Amino acid sequence: MAKERILKGIAVSKGICQGVVFIYETKDVKVVQTPIPMRYLETEVERFTKALKRTEKELSNIKERIDEEMGVDFAQFLDAQILMLKDRDIVEAVSSRIRTEKTNAEYIYHRVLDEYAKKLSASRDQYLRERVADIWDVGTRVLRNLVGLTHSSVVDVPQGSVLVAHDISPSDAALINPANVLGIAIEVGGRTSHTAITARALEIPAVVGVENLLGKIKNGEKVILDGNRGILIKSPTPGRIQFFRGEIKREIEYQKMLSPYCELPAKTRDGRQIDISANIEFSVEHTHAKRAGAMGIGLFRTEFLYLTRRGNPSEEEQFRVYNELAKKMKPDPVIIRTYDLGGDKIFSDYHEANPYLGWRAIRVSLDDFEFFKIQLRAILRASVNRNIRIMYPMISTYEEIKKAETYFDQVTKELRREKVDFDDHIQVGIMVETPSAAILSPQLAAHVDFFSIGSNDLTQYVLAVDRGNERVSHLFDHFHPAVLRLIKQVIDAGHKAHIWVGLCGELAADPLAIPLLIGLGIDELSMSPVAIPKAKMVLRALTVPECEKIAAKALNFRCASEVQKFLRRMIAKKFPGIGGIK
Amino acid sequence: MIKEKITILNENGLHALPASRFVKQAEKFKSDIKITKDGVEVSGKSIMGILTLACEKGSTVTLTTDGKDEKMANEALKKILEGQD
Repeated sequence: MAKERILKGIAVSKGICQGVVFIYETKDVKVVQTPIPMRYLETEVERFTKALKRTEKELSNIKERIDEEMGVDFAQFLDAQILMLKDRDIVEAVSSRIRTEKTNAEYIYHRVLDEYAKKLSASRDQYLRERVADIWDVGTRVLRNLVGLTHSSVVDVPQGSVLVAHDISPSDAALINPANVLGIAIEVGGRTSHTAITARALEIPAVVGVENLLGKIKNGEKVILDGNRGILIKSPTPGRIQFFRGEIKREIEYQKMLSPYCELPAKTRDGRQIDISANIEFSVEHTHAKRAGAMGIGLFRTEFLYLTRRGNPSEEEQFRVYNELAKKMKPDPVIIRTYDLGGDKIFSDYHEANPYLGWRAIRVSLDDFEFFKIQLRAILRASVNRNIRIMYPMISTYEEIKKAETYFDQVTKELRREKVDFDDHIQVGIMVETPSAAILSPQLAAHVDFFSIGSNDLTQYVLAVDRGNERVSHLFDHFHPAVLRLIKQVIDAGHKAHIWVGLCGELAADPLAIPLLIGLGIDELSMSPVAIPKAKMVLRALTVPECEKIAAKALNFRCASEVQKFLRRMIAKKFPGIGGIK
Repeated sequence: MIKEKITILNENGLHALPASRFVKQAEKFKSDIKITKDGVEVSGKSIMGILTLACEKGSTVTLTTDGKDEKMANEALKKILEGQD
């Protein structure tokens, strides 16, 4: 029997599956040069236009499907591709050159595309250079239709497959059928690649960035794909299979057990309502949020808008995304977090030694009003739905709140002048994720409408630990009493100023943390949609007084492990039958 | 024939999406439509042509519309170039 091998990659979409490898190869079409006799020239031109028509139909079908399933924004790149396909300059050039050069359509078409691709590749503009991929995405489709190759399409992937590829083009990624594809593994890409985004939106486990994947794996092989740990296991041993089967089975049973909680209100046994909302990355995820029983979007990350394209998203593009999400969630609230990336993501030549302490998030926005304004205008225009809230990330000083306020006022003035409607009473809040903001929360609370504690970054900054650094990541623990004490301060400060306080880091989804956070008086918990049913189950079994007792005790421990041990004991008492609760 | 110098004000220059909008709009007109930048002239009805011009925000192009509906074409297309559509 073949030896087991574990291939490592980057975990980009959660879940585990066991399936059969289906290698998806977009074979380069071999283009040969063939002379065409005079009398067949018109037939050759016709063959070319027919291939264009067939390709256009394919692309329109794909576009229709994406429009329906994933929203208009996902399909936009296909509009451009269809125009590239029908481009009259190209069609005319190819048709006339077939006639004058008396050569076959494949050869001429390939040459013409290559000329355009070369021009774009030479561009100084990175965005335009990247359009070359679109040209060949379209071009390969046409060439395949010309040579009559049956399209090795992701649509044809048989049931029970783990889709393995070097890369999956955007138009193909959009065609992945979640009924047949159990998991995805590709050689290239990162968390924000098109494949990763699609996998998360479809809730299919995926691992990307697996080096030399195609050299290590064969079609038809049995594999286990673990999207939680970011690994692909080739020829798993019987023991390994048994382990993962158990894990998959437990996961399914667990989800089944939890599913009734989606519908139930998020209330403690003695009637305290906690708003459970969802953290999402793409507007299409509103369906997951609703299905899981979220009472709103507690964190809409806007990063994908900046990462999936070169050049910043226009006001119009952003407005469409925000507006669609707000409409879908109405009347439940949608909290939109403004730009939360490092400066390197928008200014490609910008690098810094210490990005976590560097020029990022609100700091970038406040330094470039023209850039920030576009996002503020888009959010405010979408606020006509009356359910949008704005949240500024990484606030660390009072001046930043003031400066953001000045910009905000400038933008609302502009909109009023233009007679553009927006929500006059829109809530504007901040993420509390820097130690300074947490410590100064009593002073800051008067100037905002809400606090949302970003527990991941807060922990990282308070404990001075980079969790991405393997040597120190074990020091990262959001149950550290230093972190918990700060959280208590922030909640107390918020309540004293009569504003609500939420928490949107991973801590919110940790069942151990829920009694603690309720005991500290948290008003809202925002987490990824999959975590919601479990959180509801836990909080529905608790009462506020017992949570308060737990919280008071937890804050007095000396270290994170003592806190965890204590909380584990408490939870075990509450849920004796459930070993898998963590 | 209408010839007009226009500064691209569209936030991202004439990238794929605005270029798509431009071409779709241009195709609605009967007029012959051309864009010229730095002496290079392309058809306003060809997305590939427009992309190869690499029009960044702030660059200046000449928009030429020629035909029965040249005035309407000029107005509609100018809006896209100036990011007001």
